[in-house]
Amino acid sequence: MKRLQVDAVLLSLIEHMEIKGSRCGEVHIQKACYLLEELFGDPLGLEFILYKHGPYSFDLNDELTAMRADNIIELRTKFQFYAPSLLPAENSQLIKNMYPKTIKKFEPLVKFISENFASYGVPTLEKISTALYVTRKEDTDGSVEDRSRRIHKLEPHVTVEEACEAIKNIDLIIEDAKRISFSTT
Amino acid sequence: MLKYIHELRDPIHNFIHYSTKERKAIDSRPIQRLRYIHQLALTYLVYPGATHKRFEHSLGVMELASRVYDVVTDPNNILDDSIRNIIPKSDSDQQYWRRTLRMAALFHDAGHLPFSHAAEKELLPYGWNHEMITAEIIRSDEMIKIWNDLEIQTEDIIKLAVGPRYYKNYNFTDWEAILSEIIVSDALGVDRMDYLLRDSYHTGVAYGKFDHYRLIETMRILPKYYNYGSKEPALGIENGGLHAVEAMLLARYFMYTQLYFHPVRRIYDIHLRDFLKTWLQDGVFTTKVESHLQMTDNDVSVGLFEVAHDKSHPGHEYAERIVTRNHFRLLYDRKQEDISKNLEAQKAIYNDLKKQFGENNVIYDTEKQRGGDSTFPVYLNNRRIVSALSISDVLPKIPIAAIDSIYINPNCL
Repeated sequence: MKRLQVDAVLLSLIEHMEIKGSRCGEVHIQKACYLLEELFGDPLGLEFILYKHGPYSFDLNDELTAMRADNIIELRTKFQFYAPSLLPAENSQLIKNMYPKTIKKFEPLVKFISENFASYGVPTLEKISTALYVTRKEDTDGSVEDRSRRIHKLEPHVTVEEACEAIKNIDLIIEDAKRISFSTT
Repeated sequence: MLKYIHELRDPIHNFIHYSTKERKAIDSRPIQRLRYIHQLALTYLVYPGATHKRFEHSLGVMELASRVYDVVTDPNNILDDSIRNIIPKSDSDQQYWRRTLRMAALFHDAGHLPFSHAAEKELLPYGWNHEMITAEIIRSDEMIKIWNDLEIQTEDIIKLAVGPRYYKNYNFTDWEAILSEIIVSDALGVDRMDYLLRDSYHTGVAYGKFDHYRLIETMRILPKYYNYGSKEPALGIENGGLHAVEAMLLARYFMYTQLYFHPVRRIYDIHLRDFLKTWLQDGVFTTKVESHLQMTDNDVSVGLFEVAHDKSHPGHEYAERIVTRNHFRLLYDRKQEDISKNLEAQKAIYNDLKKQFGENNVIYDTEKQRGGDSTFPVYLNNRRIVSALSISDVLPKIPIAAIDSIYINPNCL
């Protein structure tokens, strides 16, 4: 995908997340994007690692900065003293006009992510995205218990009980996501 | 009397201190090679004072890294209980990480190619970058003896030197992530602090100055509670240091627009890259440590002058353009008013110019400032921890530096 096509999808994700009640801070967008990438076969090609409290992409951070440089999104402090929100800016309509087909194609994925995760706060998003990361990338026996212990080992501030809840949650979501058919071609 | 701590004079930090054991690392071939790698590539062709090298920059980063470490680990500066659990408790562990951090800071640029960033992207084999070469250097036999003497682990040095983005297949602990941030953080990293000050000093571009003494004194490790309940630790500051950080981030923006993104500097980088593609064996730099350590800016400069006088060489045109200052000229520069009508305005202009003047006579150069996260935690006098962007009048207004430039062969003008 071209860089601006990726930006169009990211913009769409931000817009849908905001409509569904997300605060759209950088952490919200990072975790939402990770969930989209991991649940639907890495369509945007962004590389994520486990960093501090959950999956994080330096590529995505660079891309969001580039979108700010092009005035597609901007940082706006919506809630005093809290982290600013990433929201559509003056040139957002331009990119929607350039790539309507790409936006339409990704709509089922973006809607799935926003409907399932937009209402979550940052601590919950951190846990659930880490649960998905451990399920897909870490060497465990696949059981809920083993994956929960692994999460607690990687992120000691998350109790085994909290990790267990996150694992059960993500297992249900993985099954739901399979019902959405999507192809990058 | 035998000295165990030595000092070097430095125009930016007054003195750089190092121990007798650390001197062996400084005297090693990888670090001594940095005396012959320009910090700013060919920028001296635009700013004649820009002749400083990666050697003194690396020493500066090492010095600042331990200054920051000492401030943030001081028990009086731990302002939240959640942070106490991250910092190692024993004195020996704290000293271990201090030594490791200093060596990581010293070696963070060891893998740089001749003429630094000018060359990297297209001039290394696929999948390689200078961080990977840095890791190989730190793992080399020559360096392992020195690490054993300093009683520090090789892989710990690499983790902190290259950071989580480039140290693959390993999950950093919170403590390791913080230490790495001390060197490479976008907002508060000492790598940036040193190069902004050093580049400003040597080029004479005064906008790069800021009060780094004040900034360091106010640095703290803080949880990002302002991220809607997150407890993720990060480098931040006490409220009193906010203006120093604002000055630094403004300095970064001005240095980008005045220096790093200077159009003539950029076109020289492009001509150099094109020359190197024709001059290097197979068009790429070697990634083997021994061969890497033998190549410096001096070798490339000799090649440049030879080829500039050799019309039969495929790189002759590029070399001659650099040596005779007959570089391509800036024809079009990024404009917000054009982007607000067409996000790809510059590409459209470039395609038209290619048709009119020929593909070989027009060059398109684009880059945007990377990272750019100025959302770091600030500890207020009322003990609340907030986002810097929510209390600073300046930070939200600092633009993101970007270029979309089109250059043309001067013969076409």
